[in-house]
Amino acid sequence: MQVKEIPAEGITYDQLKIEKIPLSDEYIERDPSLVPAANRAVVINPCRTCMPLGAMFATLGVHKAIPFVQGAQGCTTYVRYTFCRIFKEPAAIANASFHEDTAVFGGWKNFIQGIRNLVVRYWPELIGVVTTCASEIIGDDMVSYIKAAKKKLAEELGEEKAAAVKIVLISTPSFAGSHVVGYDRAARAFVETLAVEKTAPNNKVNIIPGMLNPGDIREIKHLLKVMGIDSIILFDIADVFDTPLRPPATIPYYPKGGTPVADIADMANSLGTVALCPHEGGLGARYLERKFGLRAVVGPPPVGVRHTDMFLQNLSELTGRPVPEELLDERGRLLDFMADTFHHTMMKKVAVFGDPDIVVGVTRFVCELGMEPVAVLSGTPSKTFPQEIENIVREYNFAPQVFNGSDLFEFEEYLKKTRVDLILGNSKGVDIARELEVPLVRVGLFVYDRVGYQKRPVVGYRGGEFLLADIVNSLLDYKYPDDRTQQL
Amino acid sequence: MRYPAENGCQAARVCTKAGRAMRLPACGSPTVPGVITSRACPYYGARWLLAPVKETLHLVHGPVGCAYYGQTVRRKSYRILSTALDEKDVVFGGDTKLVRAVREALRLFPDARAVFVYGCCVAGLTGADLAGICRLATRATGRTVVPVSCAGFGGASQGDGHDLAADVLVRFLVGRTSPAAPASYTVNLLGEFDVAGDLQEIKMLLNQLGVSVLCTFTGEASVTSLGYAHAAALNLVHCQRTGGSLAEAMTKAFGTPALKVNFFGFAATAASLRAVAAHFGREEAAEQIIRAAETRVEPVLAELRRHLAGRRVGLYFGGSRVGSMAAAYRELGMEVVWAGAQFGQQEDYAAAWPDVADGGVLLDDARQFEIEKFLCQAQPDLFVGGVRERFLAYKYGVPFTVFPQEGKPYAGFTGFINFAQDIWRAVASPVWRLVHSQ
Repeated sequence: MQVKEIPAEGITYDQLKIEKIPLSDEYIERDPSLVPAANRAVVINPCRTCMPLGAMFATLGVHKAIPFVQGAQGCTTYVRYTFCRIFKEPAAIANASFHEDTAVFGGWKNFIQGIRNLVVRYWPELIGVVTTCASEIIGDDMVSYIKAAKKKLAEELGEEKAAAVKIVLISTPSFAGSHVVGYDRAARAFVETLAVEKTAPNNKVNIIPGMLNPGDIREIKHLLKVMGIDSIILFDIADVFDTPLRPPATIPYYPKGGTPVADIADMANSLGTVALCPHEGGLGARYLERKFGLRAVVGPPPVGVRHTDMFLQNLSELTGRPVPEELLDERGRLLDFMADTFHHTMMKKVAVFGDPDIVVGVTRFVCELGMEPVAVLSGTPSKTFPQEIENIVREYNFAPQVFNGSDLFEFEEYLKKTRVDLILGNSKGVDIARELEVPLVRVGLFVYDRVGYQKRPVVGYRGGEFLLADIVNSLLDYKYPDDRTQQL
Repeated sequence: MRYPAENGCQAARVCTKAGRAMRLPACGSPTVPGVITSRACPYYGARWLLAPVKETLHLVHGPVGCAYYGQTVRRKSYRILSTALDEKDVVFGGDTKLVRAVREALRLFPDARAVFVYGCCVAGLTGADLAGICRLATRATGRTVVPVSCAGFGGASQGDGHDLAADVLVRFLVGRTSPAAPASYTVNLLGEFDVAGDLQEIKMLLNQLGVSVLCTFTGEASVTSLGYAHAAALNLVHCQRTGGSLAEAMTKAFGTPALKVNFFGFAATAASLRAVAAHFGREEAAEQIIRAAETRVEPVLAELRRHLAGRRVGLYFGGSRVGSMAAAYRELGMEVVWAGAQFGQQEDYAAAWPDVADGGVLLDDARQFEIEKFLCQAQPDLFVGGVRERFLAYKYGVPFTVFPQEGKPYAGFTGFINFAQDIWRAVASPVWRLVHSQ
């Protein structure tokens, strides 16, 4: 049987059937002067959300901690819904339930009452107070509110019980940045509030992982264990957003995991801090460096061979431990996998979008696979992102279009006019991939339309293997007839 | 079941059914802070109603987060536009940015016939003149620009957003064009969102009666169909919470009569069909449809009833579904031991009351703590609710079905089989036996 050759050029846009949410059946050429996000006031299909989500994510990564959102109910409900959809896990987040009277009189009453109501039901060990656009605009003085709330708790429940509940303030006015910034600020707020004193050295390494998935955190823990390094992971969401089904006999339900409060206090005594994602946790690492002189290693996210090498190198330098044989084997296995599959990946054109750090990591990895990034988008605007991408692509002689803080509308319009074989990004890219008829490899935080992605790593050598398998299988599923895939 | 007292709590939000005297939970009051409520904000409610309207653009005037979350409604993704207000805009005001955004949006998507502008918390607090700007924009662009002032703090729950959205639909879009001919055997469906094909099922039944649907609010609504919706002979209200105020407003403005219907459950569907048929004088056709459905559906239902009879179920819906759905579970022989809604109304609980088992609990705006207590101590055979309750129920080893549902229609006669089968699937999954076998 003669197998028909697959067109090497891919499918150009004019050959595609256009099928989307559209206002009309036909593709309409958009006003080119308004396509770049920088030229317009309106944002279309944003690729970032607002600060409080990052702060809530971080707070949930602390053992027996509940975020308390000083804002309207939607700020909490939407975020709980988002976490539930991504991780398929419950997420308890309390809210100050702002109503019209709050907008007039301020959120004092709501806060004091709310903290008390939360404590008598859940007895959390820590409450992360997350502010919102509303509370910041009406000018709630959260520092004095927290003092008053603590006093009220002590009066009602006694000093001892009140003192057992730590309260951390994370100031996150929604209009001042994206969820990435929210996590960054939370990292700093937690170490600033809890790690106040340097006592005896603990020989541990602090890791601030950023907004990675539970599978990634487990992989980081695996690498540290093989290296023989003790660590404190702030915010350890591994056993919060990926927990066993073992019905508890009592309420309330708390996941087993999360960084213990005592460990965060102990972070001042560590050897140094590694922030895997510069935009998500860099502030925390730099704060510890300034305050306690702990060496801060900020980035790069350990996705792909070189970045994981650098991560292990940094750990090695911090602790004086060599990289063991076992990890060299893991590295070798990834390289072997890359050799087995490069004929599928070489010279394929890819587009990457998402949060800045994961995009930098993935861009490095696809370059290592011989793929050519043609468009790279960070939803969150960043001062360093274009330079970080530039450093990678210069090494491989590519020149992708870099979108810094742009939206998915511009990204889509750009991709319609250029050839691309594969898109890497989160579930918000489904519509684009479907319209362009190219595969989407799901990577990053907001993956909610498929299952299991939160359990699997993309970091480390083993994570690289998972990601590579995904990339190659997606290409095969899309472009190869069945009888050819049998002959691999 | 007893729950800890709350600071400043409204009275009797929770009540237990005992004996024949009807006692209903107090509802409609704002949530107490710090209790982990499932309620959302008016913006959420407005999106719930307005997102599916076709031929329109949806512009969220607020920080980018509101738009990001509001892009997904009932698990469907829609195009969303935002002014993405930043610090500068908050200090100096975002009005000029909004005007620019509307103009640009209409240049990029020239065939949009209307623009919804949602004003979020920031717009509400900085005092943006939404209505004024939209009036100006309408004049300047020739397209209807609809202000939706849905600041998150502006109401007790998403229910206020539903009312708000219904209000702007009637004020700005309904009845704007006149249809070619008066439509005598036509209806509008109010409060029906075409979740997983529900609408197709309902339309099929109505078509068999010889009645066609002019416009569905808002599962299948466009600027065009909203424009001639006032010509319908009858409004059918499927969801009281989202459709009720709409029906009232349309009766007032156009004199369209309204009829409450419910297509969830066999008996309810039959009763609704009979009511519609009576209005149009098509009683015979209705009886025929119901008889045919009975012979087709009943054997399957009898089998499912055998599996499900006597099982205890807890219900936690958004608004008025608690009233209309409780009977459907009873029809399957299940025992409703706990029934609640995030923002129910007295009449919803009154409708649910007869179907709640003696000793069962009715409650409004359940806190997560109360849900956990119920799941842990009562160990029901099934819990029904939204996505946020779903994974909590699983943690306690309790089977769960999600509503609004995924995948298949629940409405109509065939839908009722889907509904019952989904329950049986959830209850019968081997995973629960494995969980409890340790």
